[in-house]
Amino acid sequence: MTQFALPPELEQLSHEATRFAAAELAPGARASERAGAWPPAVLAVVEKLGLRELDLPESLGGAGAGALAKVVLLEALAAGDAGGLPAADPAGTCVGALLACPDRALAERVARACLAGEARAALAVADAEPAGPTAVYWAPARPPLRFVFESRGDGLRLYQLERPLEPVRALAFQASGGGSASLEGARQLGEWRLSTQESVDVRGRARLWCAAVALGVAQAAFDATIAYATDRVVFGKPVAHHQGNAFELAVAAANLHGARLLARDAAASFDRGEPDAGFWATQAWLAAVDAGVAVTDLGVQLLGGHGFLVDHPAEKRFREVRMLALLAGGRDLADADLAARVLEVPDPLFAGAGATS
Amino acid sequence: MIPLDARTREQLDEVRELGRTYMRPMGLESDRTGEPPPADHPFYLICSRRGGLVSRVVGEGEGDGPTWKPLRALLTAEESAYWDRGVALSLPGPGLGGAALRSLATPEQRERFLAPFADHSRAHWGAMAMTEPGAGSDVARIQTRAKQDGADWVLSGAKMFCSNGARADWVVVWATLDPALGRAGHRAFVVPRGTAGFELLKIEHKMGSRGYETASFALDGVRVPAANLLGGAAAYAGRAGFRGAMATFNLTRPLHAAQGIGMGRAAHDHALEFVRAHYPSHGARRRKALERLAEIRRGLATARLICLHAVWLARQNRDNVLESSYAKLFAPPVVFRAIAAALDVVGEAGVRSDAHLEKLYRDVKILDIGEGTQQVQRLVIARQLFGFPRGD
Repeated sequence: MTQFALPPELEQLSHEATRFAAAELAPGARASERAGAWPPAVLAVVEKLGLRELDLPESLGGAGAGALAKVVLLEALAAGDAGGLPAADPAGTCVGALLACPDRALAERVARACLAGEARAALAVADAEPAGPTAVYWAPARPPLRFVFESRGDGLRLYQLERPLEPVRALAFQASGGGSASLEGARQLGEWRLSTQESVDVRGRARLWCAAVALGVAQAAFDATIAYATDRVVFGKPVAHHQGNAFELAVAAANLHGARLLARDAAASFDRGEPDAGFWATQAWLAAVDAGVAVTDLGVQLLGGHGFLVDHPAEKRFREVRMLALLAGGRDLADADLAARVLEVPDPLFAGAGATS
Repeated sequence: MIPLDARTREQLDEVRELGRTYMRPMGLESDRTGEPPPADHPFYLICSRRGGLVSRVVGEGEGDGPTWKPLRALLTAEESAYWDRGVALSLPGPGLGGAALRSLATPEQRERFLAPFADHSRAHWGAMAMTEPGAGSDVARIQTRAKQDGADWVLSGAKMFCSNGARADWVVVWATLDPALGRAGHRAFVVPRGTAGFELLKIEHKMGSRGYETASFALDGVRVPAANLLGGAAAYAGRAGFRGAMATFNLTRPLHAAQGIGMGRAAHDHALEFVRAHYPSHGARRRKALERLAEIRRGLATARLICLHAVWLARQNRDNVLESSYAKLFAPPVVFRAIAAALDVVGEAGVRSDAHLEKLYRDVKILDIGEGTQQVQRLVIARQLFGFPRGD
């Protein structure tokens, strides 16, 4: 029963990343947002912490440290500033696709281009039916988007993009820049059929990336809300000491705590090679964005008018978590994945208990 | 999640077998009759003869420290509640009174009151009486008085919501020296069954969870020797008395939450069987039902991780007040929604009592009330996280 304790090297990574995020990322978050990029010095540290390579296997040129390591690092960095994270991690949401891609040489080519910072890969999650056209609605502007994995039902395709993205303004993550692309006319490099379980793993890893960032942003929002709400006095006492507010904060804290445990458990499940990791990662993403949306909403609400102003990071966190709740195909496709797998996924502890009466 | 060792799996198999054979049918019978199973029901003797099983089911240990196996206790609490939470609570053992004894009792008191539980020739129960008609969540407001009279203590007042109280060999009764002293005035006494003036008023009739008795007592000049003051006089310096009571609940909050997870699983499995039988192929209703099942799974998995984490902290001798409250705050509403969602999967068929789900819906509500309501948990969390003031 040791999975709640992080191994010492991950404790160390989390500690270092948290310190860096508080000292370097958080103070510059608004400036980065305006500039549309993290400063080069920041990107250098993030790279040194292993963001790009951590969860890619050594066979693809990565560090092979696993999904839990990546989740821990993303949580810590996102608590400082999540804005530039998508740009800083060129293969971030495609690790599942790279792992599942049956053409290993092709996967390695894509992974190495991403690791070198020359290209970016995106995962486009599309409706299985009806089979409409696929688009990348939003991707970070840098490095240039070259590869798009399309995950549609149990199908996986890899496209190569020749044209640059069409710039778009997005709800959040301005420090990553942003653009969109249609896959019409893009060169198809490969097409494969996966099992449903493999397909849910592909999408689940992308969702876990979003969950980890959402958890970091939400924790920062919660901490900032407590700091403000225990300091600011209304009607004779601190905002947080009015029972109506205190009760909402307590529930938000419990939900956030639960979502973090679920996300880390799903990550550990990937690292143990368990067959239902993608299912649990999808569950974790739903729990994380639900908890995160509630926390960041409370973060704006309890600050009152201040929360609505860009003078305070509350509104930025509010937008970021909402956007993370829309990525990787969005909620309805996550629900569809869960529905497709739920009858086959056993209870992790009481497998085979079955029989109700 | 957690790789379980062979011994834990064996124990869970044992609980499952007893659950299927006895606990589920007994729970349904109690639900029909409105009466808990009688204390001389053969099942209780079977449990006693199997020795430690019972104590594990209700989260008890033979003593302190290494013999207390919180993880097994948690999982067996979940599994037994899967079959019937009411009957699980009725199993022989020292119950919440045992938790209070572990927190406060002197070695002599442990020997005197816990040793009889090693006698497996008949079933034994212990109980705890804290709640009063006028003091539930706010335990600091208890009014039952304790007055010293020579070498004895004399207790007067009223208690209710005492689980297994009527069949217990003894009841740990919480009383106050003087309500004006607040928590500092609290004392706990072990009152043996049959003590003069310790009068059973009634066994309550409840909406659900009918498999265990919920007793109300009057205490009319109940005289107990000083040796029955739990922990002895020295244990009550400062606020220890109240802290003893709270420590009791720190041990049991995650177990209580885990019972809910078992009930949620039972509801889930009913809905799952229904989907398999009635919506075997594609269709909108099947798809909606599968999404509901997935949502149920998400809530239960999260609740279980929160419980396991709270117990894991305790096992490392780390403070887990906050995490125990997270467990007790999070699980009951999630389980309540899980059972409601399972009912929605079944639809109109769910109203029938033989579908069992409507019973779970009635059974589960008490989880959000006993051992600290969700409102009390919010207060505890708010105090822990941002210094929410006491007495507000």
